[in-house]
Amino acid sequence: MQALRIAATGMDAQQKRVEVVSNNIANMSTTAYSARRAEFADLHYQQLRAPGAISSSTGLIAPAGIELGLGVRTSAISVNVEQGSLRQTGGDLDIAIEGRGYFEVTLPSGDPAFTRDGTFKKTGEGLIVNSEGYPLSGDITIPQDARSITINNNGEVFAYFDGQTAGQQIGTLQVSIFVNEKGLEAIGGNLFRETQASGSPIPGEPGIDGRGAIRQGFLEESSVDVVQQIADLIEAQRGYELNSKVISAADQMLGSTTQIR
Amino acid sequence: MNNSIYVTLSKQAGLSKELNSVANNIANASTAGYRREGFLFSEYIQRLEPQDRSVSQANVGGHFFDATPGALARTGGTFDVAIDGEGYFVVETPRGERLTRQGSFMLDAEGLLVTPDGDRVLGEGGSPVTIPAEAANITVAPDGTIAADGAPVGKLGLVTVDATALAREGDNLFRATQEYETVEFPKLRQGFVEASNVNAVIEVSRLIEVQRAYELNQQLMKDEDERIAKTVEAMRRR
Repeated sequence: MQALRIAATGMDAQQKRVEVVSNNIANMSTTAYSARRAEFADLHYQQLRAPGAISSSTGLIAPAGIELGLGVRTSAISVNVEQGSLRQTGGDLDIAIEGRGYFEVTLPSGDPAFTRDGTFKKTGEGLIVNSEGYPLSGDITIPQDARSITINNNGEVFAYFDGQTAGQQIGTLQVSIFVNEKGLEAIGGNLFRETQASGSPIPGEPGIDGRGAIRQGFLEESSVDVVQQIADLIEAQRGYELNSKVISAADQMLGSTTQIR
Repeated sequence: MNNSIYVTLSKQAGLSKELNSVANNIANASTAGYRREGFLFSEYIQRLEPQDRSVSQANVGGHFFDATPGALARTGGTFDVAIDGEGYFVVETPRGERLTRQGSFMLDAEGLLVTPDGDRVLGEGGSPVTIPAEAANITVAPDGTIAADGAPVGKLGLVTVDATALAREGDNLFRATQEYETVEFPKLRQGFVEASNVNAVIEVSRLIEVQRAYELNQQLMKDEDERIAKTVEAMRRR
Protein backbone atom coordinates (compact mmCIF):
# COMPACT_ATOMS: atom_id res chain seq x y z
CA MET A 1 0.00 0.00 0.00
CA GLN A 2 1.62 3.21 -1.24
CA ALA A 3 -0.39 5.39 1.11
CA LEU A 4 1.91 4.38 3.94
CA ARG A 5 4.96 5.64 2.11
CA ILE A 6 3.21 8.75 0.81
CA ALA A 7 2.16 9.70 4.33
CA ALA A 8 5.71 9.04 5.51
CA THR A 9 7.05 11.61 3.01
CA GLY A 10 4.45 14.02 4.40
CA MET A 11 5.58 13.42 7.96
CA ASP A 12 9.18 13.87 6.91
CA ALA A 13 8.34 17.21 5.28
CA GLN A 14 6.45 18.48 8.33
CA GLN A 15 9.32 17.37 10.53
CA LYS A 16 11.74 19.44 8.40
CA ARG A 17 9.40 22.36 8.82
CA VAL A 18 9.42 22.00 12.61
CA GLU A 19 13.22 21.82 12.52
CA VAL A 20 13.43 25.02 10.47
CA VAL A 21 10.95 26.77 12.78
CA SER A 22 12.81 25.67 15.89
CA ASN A 23 16.07 26.97 14.44
CA ASN A 24 14.39 30.29 13.66
CA ILE A 25 12.98 30.60 17.17
CA ALA A 26 16.29 29.60 18.70
CA ASN A 27 17.89 32.43 16.73
CA MET A 28 15.30 35.06 17.55
CA SER A 29 17.96 37.10 19.38
CA THR A 30 20.90 36.37 17.09
CA THR A 31 22.34 39.53 15.57
CA ALA A 32 21.42 39.94 11.89
CA TYR A 33 19.80 36.52 11.61
CA SER A 34 17.31 36.08 8.78
CA ALA A 35 14.47 33.60 9.14
CA ARG A 36 14.63 30.43 7.03
CA ARG A 37 11.64 28.88 5.36
CA ALA A 38 11.16 25.33 4.18
CA GLU A 39 9.64 25.05 0.73
CA PHE A 40 8.02 21.90 -0.59
CA ALA A 41 7.29 20.39 -3.96
CA ASP A 42 5.20 17.40 -4.92
CA LEU A 43 7.05 14.24 -5.93
CA HIS A 44 6.64 12.79 -9.37
CA TYR A 45 3.44 11.18 -10.54
CA GLN A 46 2.79 7.66 -11.63
CA GLN A 47 0.90 8.00 -14.89
CA LEU A 48 -1.61 5.17 -14.97
CA ARG A 49 -3.17 6.80 -17.99
CA ALA A 50 -1.69 9.97 -19.41
CA PRO A 51 -4.11 12.84 -19.99
CA GLY A 52 -4.89 13.15 -23.68
CA ALA A 53 -4.60 9.40 -24.26
CA ILE A 54 -6.66 8.16 -27.15
CA SER A 55 -9.52 6.10 -25.81
CA SER A 56 -10.92 4.68 -29.02
CA SER A 57 -9.99 4.06 -32.63
CA THR A 58 -12.17 6.97 -33.71
CA GLY A 59 -9.71 9.28 -32.02
CA LEU A 60 -11.72 10.12 -28.95
CA ILE A 61 -9.48 11.53 -26.29
CA ALA A 62 -9.85 10.66 -22.64
CA PRO A 63 -10.57 14.01 -21.00
CA ALA A 64 -8.65 13.23 -17.85
CA GLY A 65 -5.75 10.98 -17.11
CA ILE A 66 -5.11 8.87 -14.06
CA GLU A 67 -2.15 10.14 -12.18
CA LEU A 68 -1.07 8.83 -8.84
CA GLY A 69 0.92 11.27 -6.76
CA LEU A 70 3.72 9.82 -4.71
CA GLY A 71 4.13 12.37 -1.94
CA VAL A 72 6.15 15.43 -1.15
CA ARG A 73 9.76 16.48 -0.80
CA THR A 74 11.57 19.52 0.52
CA SER A 75 12.62 21.58 -2.49
CA ALA A 76 14.49 24.34 -0.68
CA ILE A 77 15.12 25.89 2.67
CA SER A 78 15.45 29.46 1.64
CA VAL A 79 16.62 32.44 3.61
CA ASN A 80 13.99 35.13 3.83
CA VAL A 81 16.38 38.04 3.37
CA GLU A 82 14.78 40.84 5.30
CA GLN A 83 16.17 43.87 7.03
CA GLY A 84 16.00 43.42 10.77
CA SER A 85 15.32 46.44 12.93
CA LEU A 86 18.35 48.41 14.11
CA ARG A 87 19.04 48.49 17.82
CA GLN A 88 21.10 51.32 19.24
CA THR A 89 24.04 50.11 21.31
CA GLY A 90 26.31 53.15 21.17
CA GLY A 91 29.35 50.92 20.71
CA ASP A 92 32.15 52.37 18.58
CA LEU A 93 32.57 49.18 16.64
CA ASP A 94 28.95 48.08 16.53
CA ILE A 95 28.13 48.58 12.88
CA ALA A 96 24.88 47.80 11.11
CA ILE A 97 24.19 47.74 7.39
CA GLU A 98 20.98 49.50 6.52
CA GLY A 99 20.00 47.87 3.25
CA ARG A 100 21.65 45.11 1.26
CA GLY A 101 25.16 43.88 1.70
CA TYR A 102 27.63 41.92 3.79
CA PHE A 103 30.91 42.64 5.55
CA GLU A 104 33.80 40.51 4.41
CA VAL A 105 36.00 38.84 7.01
CA THR A 106 38.96 36.56 6.46
CA LEU A 107 38.77 33.05 7.87
CA PRO A 108 41.89 31.46 9.43
CA SER A 109 42.18 29.41 6.23
CA GLY A 110 42.56 32.62 4.28
CA ASP A 111 39.20 32.27 2.54
CA PRO A 112 36.73 35.12 2.66
CA ALA A 113 33.44 34.80 4.55
CA PHE A 114 30.56 37.22 4.65
CA THR A 115 28.46 38.45 7.53
CA ARG A 116 25.87 41.03 8.41
CA ASP A 117 26.73 40.73 12.07
CA GLY A 118 28.49 43.99 12.81
CA THR A 119 29.66 43.34 16.38
CA PHE A 120 33.30 44.10 15.75
CA LYS A 121 36.04 44.33 18.35
CA LYS A 122 39.66 45.32 18.19
CA THR A 123 42.67 43.23 19.00
CA GLY A 124 45.62 44.30 21.17
CA GLU A 125 47.26 45.59 18.02
CA GLY A 126 44.22 47.64 17.11
CA LEU A 127 43.07 45.44 14.21
CA ILE A 128 39.27 45.34 13.69
CA VAL A 129 38.03 41.74 14.06
CA ASN A 130 34.65 40.08 14.50
CA SER A 131 33.54 38.21 17.63
CA GLU A 132 35.42 35.10 16.51
CA GLY A 133 38.61 37.08 15.93
CA TYR A 134 38.47 36.96 12.13
CA PRO A 135 39.83 40.22 10.72
CA LEU A 136 37.54 42.52 8.77
CA SER A 137 38.79 42.84 5.20
CA GLY A 138 40.65 46.02 4.48
CA ASP A 139 42.90 45.41 7.50
CA ILE A 140 41.91 48.57 9.30
CA THR A 141 44.13 49.17 12.32
CA ILE A 142 43.08 51.66 14.94
CA PRO A 143 46.12 53.58 16.26
CA GLN A 144 46.87 52.94 19.94
CA ASP A 145 46.65 56.59 20.89
CA ALA A 146 43.33 57.26 19.13
CA ARG A 147 40.81 58.90 21.45
CA SER A 148 37.78 57.76 19.51
CA ILE A 149 36.79 56.59 16.08
CA THR A 150 33.79 57.38 13.95
CA ILE A 151 32.52 55.60 10.87
CA ASN A 152 30.35 57.57 8.50
CA ASN A 153 27.51 56.27 6.35
CA ASN A 154 29.84 55.64 3.44
CA GLY A 155 32.16 53.48 5.50
CA GLU A 156 35.01 55.92 5.95
CA VAL A 157 36.72 55.34 9.29
CA PHE A 158 38.14 58.38 11.09
CA ALA A 159 40.33 58.37 14.17
CA TYR A 160 40.47 61.32 16.56
CA PHE A 161 43.56 62.10 18.59
CA ASP A 162 44.12 64.26 21.63
CA GLY A 163 45.09 67.77 20.73
CA GLN A 164 43.71 67.57 17.20
CA THR A 165 40.30 68.79 16.21
CA ALA A 166 40.15 67.22 12.74
CA GLY A 167 39.84 63.47 12.42
CA GLN A 168 42.27 61.43 10.41
CA GLN A 169 40.98 58.87 7.93
CA ILE A 170 42.49 55.48 8.72
CA GLY A 171 40.62 53.30 6.27
CA THR A 172 37.37 52.54 4.46
CA LEU A 173 34.88 49.80 5.15
CA GLN A 174 33.56 47.98 2.13
CA VAL A 175 30.29 46.19 1.74
CA SER A 176 29.75 43.32 -0.72
CA ILE A 177 26.47 42.46 -2.37
CA PHE A 178 25.53 39.29 -4.22
CA VAL A 179 23.30 38.71 -7.20
CA ASN A 180 21.53 35.92 -5.35
CA GLU A 181 21.84 36.30 -1.60
CA LYS A 182 19.69 33.21 -1.03
CA GLY A 183 22.44 31.16 -2.68
CA LEU A 184 25.00 31.90 0.06
CA GLU A 185 26.08 28.96 2.14
CA ALA A 186 25.63 29.49 5.87
CA ILE A 187 28.61 28.15 7.78
CA GLY A 188 27.51 29.07 11.29
CA GLY A 189 28.81 31.88 13.46
CA ASN A 190 26.62 34.30 11.45
CA LEU A 191 28.96 33.72 8.52
CA PHE A 192 28.22 32.89 4.91
CA ARG A 193 30.40 31.61 2.13
CA GLU A 194 30.01 32.44 -1.56
CA THR A 195 28.83 29.60 -3.81
CA GLN A 196 28.22 29.14 -7.50
CA ALA A 197 24.56 29.85 -6.85
CA SER A 198 25.18 33.17 -5.12
CA GLY A 199 27.56 34.54 -7.73
CA SER A 200 30.74 36.43 -6.94
CA PRO A 201 30.69 39.21 -4.35
CA ILE A 202 30.44 42.73 -5.71
CA PRO A 203 32.38 44.83 -3.20
CA GLY A 204 32.19 48.59 -3.09
CA GLU A 205 31.46 51.73 -1.20
CA PRO A 206 28.46 51.45 1.12
CA GLY A 207 25.42 53.55 0.37
CA ILE A 208 25.68 53.51 -3.43
CA ASP A 209 24.81 51.11 -6.28
CA GLY A 210 22.35 49.12 -4.20
CA ARG A 211 24.71 48.66 -1.25
CA GLY A 212 23.29 49.54 2.14
CA ALA A 213 24.60 52.42 4.23
CA ILE A 214 26.68 51.98 7.38
CA ARG A 215 25.24 52.92 10.77
CA GLN A 216 27.80 53.16 13.55
CA GLY A 217 26.53 52.43 17.06
CA PHE A 218 23.74 50.16 15.89
CA LEU A 219 23.28 46.43 15.53
CA GLU A 220 20.82 44.67 13.27
CA GLU A 221 18.41 42.52 15.21
CA SER A 222 17.20 39.12 14.13
CA SER A 223 14.37 39.48 11.61
CA VAL A 224 12.50 36.45 12.95
CA ASP A 225 8.81 37.18 13.43
CA VAL A 226 8.03 34.96 16.40
CA VAL A 227 4.25 35.13 15.94
CA GLN A 228 4.58 33.87 12.39
CA GLN A 229 6.94 31.13 13.52
CA ILE A 230 4.48 29.94 16.15
CA ALA A 231 1.69 29.91 13.58
CA ASP A 232 3.97 27.86 11.33
CA LEU A 233 4.76 25.51 14.20
CA ILE A 234 1.08 24.88 14.89
CA GLU A 235 0.45 24.24 11.19
CA ALA A 236 3.39 21.86 10.96
CA GLN A 237 2.34 19.95 14.06
CA ARG A 238 -1.22 19.51 12.81
CA GLY A 239 0.10 18.53 9.41
CA TYR A 240 2.23 15.89 11.06
CA GLU A 241 -0.76 14.53 12.95
CA LEU A 242 -2.86 14.43 9.79
CA ASN A 243 -0.20 12.40 8.02
CA SER A 244 0.03 10.01 10.94
CA LYS A 245 -3.77 9.58 10.72
CA VAL A 246 -3.32 8.43 7.14
CA ILE A 247 -0.69 5.95 8.25
CA SER A 248 -2.94 4.50 10.92
CA ALA A 249 -5.89 4.32 8.49
CA ALA A 250 -3.77 2.51 5.91
CA ASP A 251 -2.48 0.24 8.63
CA GLN A 252 -6.00 -0.64 9.76
CA MET A 253 -7.05 -1.31 6.17
CA LEU A 254 -4.10 -3.64 5.73
CA GLY A 255 -4.98 -5.23 9.05
CA SER A 256 -8.55 -5.91 7.98
CA THR A 257 -7.26 -7.41 4.73
CA THR A 258 -5.18 -9.93 6.60
CA GLN A 259 -8.15 -10.81 8.78
CA ILE A 260 -10.30 -12.03 5.88
CA ARG A 261 -9.05 -15.52 6.35
CA MET B 1 -20.42 -17.53 -9.11
CA ASN B 2 -17.35 -15.52 -8.28
CA ASN B 3 -18.89 -12.32 -9.56
CA SER B 4 -19.64 -10.90 -6.14
CA ILE B 5 -16.00 -11.35 -5.14
CA TYR B 6 -14.83 -9.63 -8.33
CA VAL B 7 -17.18 -6.70 -7.82
CA THR B 8 -15.94 -6.27 -4.27
CA LEU B 9 -12.38 -6.60 -5.44
CA SER B 10 -12.82 -3.88 -8.06
CA LYS B 11 -14.09 -1.58 -5.34
CA GLN B 12 -11.20 -2.50 -3.04
CA ALA B 13 -8.62 -1.72 -5.72
CA GLY B 14 -10.27 1.62 -6.37
CA LEU B 15 -10.43 2.46 -2.68
CA SER B 16 -6.78 1.73 -2.24
CA LYS B 17 -6.01 4.20 -5.09
CA GLU B 18 -8.33 6.70 -3.46
CA LEU B 19 -6.43 6.28 -0.20
CA ASN B 20 -3.21 7.03 -2.06
CA SER B 21 -4.67 10.24 -3.39
CA VAL B 22 -5.84 11.26 0.11
CA ALA B 23 -2.37 10.48 1.42
CA ASN B 24 -0.81 12.55 -1.38
CA ASN B 25 -3.11 15.48 -0.66
CA ILE B 26 -2.35 15.42 3.04
CA ALA B 27 1.37 15.01 2.40
CA ASN B 28 1.24 18.10 0.21
CA ALA B 29 -0.84 20.20 2.60
CA SER B 30 2.14 22.56 3.00
CA THR B 31 3.31 22.58 -0.62
CA ALA B 32 2.92 26.06 -2.06
CA GLY B 33 0.74 26.16 -5.15
CA TYR B 34 -0.38 22.53 -4.78
CA ARG B 35 -3.77 21.54 -6.14
CA ARG B 36 -5.72 18.79 -4.42
CA GLU B 37 -6.51 15.77 -6.53
CA GLY B 38 -9.13 13.08 -6.60
CA PHE B 39 -10.28 10.13 -8.65
CA LEU B 40 -13.41 9.62 -10.63
CA PHE B 41 -14.86 6.15 -10.65
CA SER B 42 -16.75 4.76 -13.57
CA GLU B 43 -18.78 1.62 -14.09
CA TYR B 44 -17.58 -1.34 -16.01
CA ILE B 45 -20.58 -3.42 -17.00
CA GLN B 46 -20.23 -7.09 -17.59
CA ARG B 47 -23.01 -8.83 -19.46
CA LEU B 48 -24.19 -12.12 -18.11
CA GLU B 49 -26.62 -14.70 -19.40
CA PRO B 50 -29.86 -13.18 -20.82
CA GLN B 51 -31.93 -14.26 -17.84
CA ASP B 52 -29.53 -12.65 -15.34
CA ARG B 53 -28.99 -9.01 -14.64
CA SER B 54 -25.64 -7.69 -15.67
CA VAL B 55 -22.90 -6.96 -13.14
CA SER B 56 -21.37 -3.57 -12.69
CA GLN B 57 -17.85 -3.17 -11.43
CA ALA B 58 -16.13 -0.03 -10.25
CA ASN B 59 -13.15 1.17 -12.20
CA VAL B 60 -10.97 4.23 -11.82
CA GLY B 61 -11.95 6.17 -14.91
CA GLY B 62 -10.20 9.44 -14.44
CA HIS B 63 -8.36 11.82 -12.28
CA PHE B 64 -9.18 15.39 -11.57
CA PHE B 65 -7.60 18.18 -9.72
CA ASP B 66 -9.34 20.93 -7.91
CA ALA B 67 -8.38 24.27 -9.46
CA THR B 68 -9.80 26.36 -6.63
CA PRO B 69 -7.15 28.90 -5.62
CA GLY B 70 -5.48 28.30 -2.28
CA ALA B 71 -5.24 30.90 0.45
CA LEU B 72 -2.56 33.55 0.06
CA ALA B 73 0.00 33.38 2.84
CA ARG B 74 2.11 36.47 3.55
CA THR B 75 5.85 35.89 3.55
CA GLY B 76 7.19 39.36 2.77
CA GLY B 77 9.74 37.89 0.36
CA THR B 78 10.71 40.12 -2.58
CA PHE B 79 10.43 37.33 -5.13
CA ASP B 80 7.45 35.58 -3.59
CA VAL B 81 4.70 36.23 -6.09
CA ALA B 82 1.28 34.67 -5.69
CA ILE B 83 -1.28 34.43 -8.47
CA ASP B 84 -4.56 35.94 -7.39
CA GLY B 85 -7.07 34.21 -9.63
CA GLU B 86 -6.48 32.08 -12.69
CA GLY B 87 -3.31 31.43 -14.59
CA TYR B 88 0.08 29.74 -14.42
CA PHE B 89 3.66 30.94 -14.63
CA VAL B 90 5.70 29.49 -17.48
CA VAL B 91 9.10 28.06 -16.53
CA GLU B 92 11.81 26.67 -18.78
CA THR B 93 12.99 23.23 -17.70
CA PRO B 94 15.53 20.99 -19.44
CA ARG B 95 12.51 18.98 -20.67
CA GLY B 96 10.72 21.95 -22.18
CA GLU B 97 8.30 24.59 -21.01
CA ARG B 98 6.24 23.76 -17.95
CA LEU B 99 3.56 25.57 -15.98
CA THR B 100 3.51 26.20 -12.26
CA ARG B 101 1.51 28.08 -9.67
CA GLN B 102 4.27 28.10 -7.11
CA GLY B 103 5.57 31.65 -7.12
CA SER B 104 8.39 31.49 -4.58
CA PHE B 105 11.17 32.47 -6.92
CA MET B 106 14.79 33.38 -6.37
CA LEU B 107 17.70 34.61 -8.45
CA ASP B 108 20.51 32.54 -9.85
CA ALA B 109 24.15 33.65 -9.99
CA GLU B 110 23.50 35.58 -13.23
CA GLY B 111 20.56 37.46 -11.80
CA LEU B 112 17.90 35.50 -13.69
CA LEU B 113 14.62 34.77 -11.97
CA VAL B 114 14.43 31.00 -11.24
CA THR B 115 12.32 28.51 -9.28
CA PRO B 116 13.77 26.74 -6.19
CA ASP B 117 14.81 23.93 -8.55
CA GLY B 118 16.76 26.34 -10.76
CA ASP B 119 14.36 26.41 -13.71
CA ARG B 120 14.15 29.81 -15.37
CA VAL B 121 10.92 31.74 -15.09
CA LEU B 122 9.80 33.07 -18.45
CA GLY B 123 8.34 36.55 -18.52
CA GLU B 124 5.79 37.92 -20.88
CA GLY B 125 6.93 37.18 -24.41
CA GLY B 126 8.78 34.04 -23.38
CA SER B 127 12.17 35.42 -22.40
CA PRO B 128 13.84 34.96 -19.00
CA VAL B 129 13.70 37.87 -16.56
CA THR B 130 16.99 39.42 -15.43
CA ILE B 131 17.18 41.48 -12.27
CA PRO B 132 20.12 43.93 -12.06
CA ALA B 133 22.44 43.14 -9.16
CA GLU B 134 22.67 46.75 -7.97
CA ALA B 135 18.93 47.14 -7.51
CA ALA B 136 18.14 47.93 -3.90
CA ASN B 137 14.39 47.79 -4.16
CA ILE B 138 12.48 45.38 -6.39
CA THR B 139 8.75 45.67 -6.77
CA VAL B 140 6.35 43.47 -8.67
CA ALA B 141 3.23 45.33 -9.71
CA PRO B 142 -0.12 43.51 -9.70
CA ASP B 143 0.00 43.31 -13.51
CA GLY B 144 3.40 41.58 -13.38
CA THR B 145 5.68 44.51 -14.18
CA ILE B 146 8.96 44.13 -12.30
CA ALA B 147 10.62 47.39 -11.38
CA ALA B 148 14.13 47.81 -9.98
CA ASP B 149 14.40 51.09 -8.07
CA GLY B 150 11.44 52.41 -10.00
CA ALA B 151 12.63 51.50 -13.49
CA PRO B 152 10.84 48.59 -15.22
CA VAL B 153 13.17 45.67 -15.99
CA GLY B 154 10.72 43.02 -17.13
CA LYS B 155 7.24 41.66 -16.87
CA LEU B 156 5.93 38.39 -15.51
CA GLY B 157 3.32 36.81 -17.71
CA LEU B 158 0.62 34.29 -16.95
CA VAL B 159 -0.93 31.72 -19.22
CA THR B 160 -4.12 29.77 -18.96
CA VAL B 161 -5.02 26.37 -20.28
CA ASP B 162 -7.90 23.96 -19.97
CA ALA B 163 -7.46 22.02 -16.69
CA THR B 164 -8.00 18.68 -18.43
CA ALA B 165 -5.00 19.33 -20.67
CA LEU B 166 -2.60 19.46 -17.74
CA ALA B 167 -0.47 16.53 -16.66
CA ARG B 168 1.28 16.66 -13.33
CA GLU B 169 5.01 16.19 -13.31
CA GLY B 170 5.89 16.70 -9.67
CA ASP B 171 8.11 19.56 -8.47
CA ASN B 172 4.95 21.70 -8.59
CA LEU B 173 5.09 21.58 -12.38
CA PHE B 174 2.40 20.85 -14.91
CA ARG B 175 2.90 19.82 -18.52
CA ALA B 176 0.35 21.23 -20.93
CA THR B 177 -0.79 18.87 -23.65
CA GLN B 178 -2.28 21.66 -25.70
CA GLU B 179 -1.42 25.25 -26.60
CA TYR B 180 -1.92 27.76 -23.85
CA GLU B 181 -3.20 31.29 -24.03
CA THR B 182 -1.80 34.37 -22.39
CA VAL B 183 -3.83 35.87 -19.58
CA GLU B 184 -4.61 39.40 -20.66
CA PHE B 185 -4.91 40.96 -17.23
CA PRO B 186 -2.84 38.98 -14.74
CA LYS B 187 -3.29 39.68 -11.05
CA LEU B 188 -0.21 39.06 -8.94
CA ARG B 189 0.64 39.78 -5.33
CA GLN B 190 4.21 40.36 -4.27
CA GLY B 191 5.25 39.11 -0.84
CA PHE B 192 2.71 36.32 -0.78
CA VAL B 193 2.74 32.65 -1.68
CA GLU B 194 -0.30 30.65 -2.54
CA ALA B 195 -0.83 27.95 0.05
CA SER B 196 -1.89 24.47 -0.94
CA ASN B 197 -5.64 24.26 -1.53
CA VAL B 198 -5.90 21.02 0.44
CA ASN B 199 -8.67 21.25 3.00
CA ALA B 200 -7.81 19.10 6.02
CA VAL B 201 -11.46 18.57 6.99
CA ILE B 202 -12.40 17.27 3.55
CA GLU B 203 -9.36 15.02 3.35
CA VAL B 204 -9.95 13.52 6.79
CA SER B 205 -13.59 12.85 6.01
CA ARG B 206 -12.52 11.22 2.73
CA LEU B 207 -10.03 9.17 4.71
CA ILE B 208 -12.71 7.91 7.10
CA GLU B 209 -15.03 7.18 4.21
CA VAL B 210 -12.37 5.22 2.35
CA GLN B 211 -11.38 3.26 5.40
CA ARG B 212 -14.94 2.32 6.35
CA ALA B 213 -15.91 1.43 2.78
CA TYR B 214 -12.83 -0.74 2.58
CA GLU B 215 -13.76 -2.55 5.77
CA LEU B 216 -17.33 -2.95 4.56
CA ASN B 217 -16.06 -4.61 1.40
CA GLN B 218 -13.74 -6.72 3.46
CA GLN B 219 -16.71 -7.93 5.49
CA LEU B 220 -18.66 -8.64 2.33
CA MET B 221 -15.81 -10.71 0.98
CA LYS B 222 -15.56 -12.58 4.24
CA ASP B 223 -19.30 -13.32 4.22
CA GLU B 224 -19.08 -14.47 0.62
CA ASP B 225 -16.17 -16.69 1.53
CA GLU B 226 -18.20 -18.24 4.34
CA ARG B 227 -21.20 -18.68 2.07
CA ILE B 228 -19.12 -20.59 -0.47
CA ALA B 229 -17.55 -22.65 2.30
CA LYS B 230 -20.99 -23.55 3.63
CA THR B 231 -22.17 -24.51 0.16
CA VAL B 232 -19.19 -26.76 -0.27
CA GLU B 233 -19.77 -28.23 3.16
CA ALA B 234 -23.48 -28.86 2.43
CA MET B 235 -22.62 -30.58 -0.84
CA ARG B 236 -20.04 -32.75 0.84
CA ARG B 237 -22.58 -34.02 3.40
CA ARG B 238 -25.05 -35.23 0.82
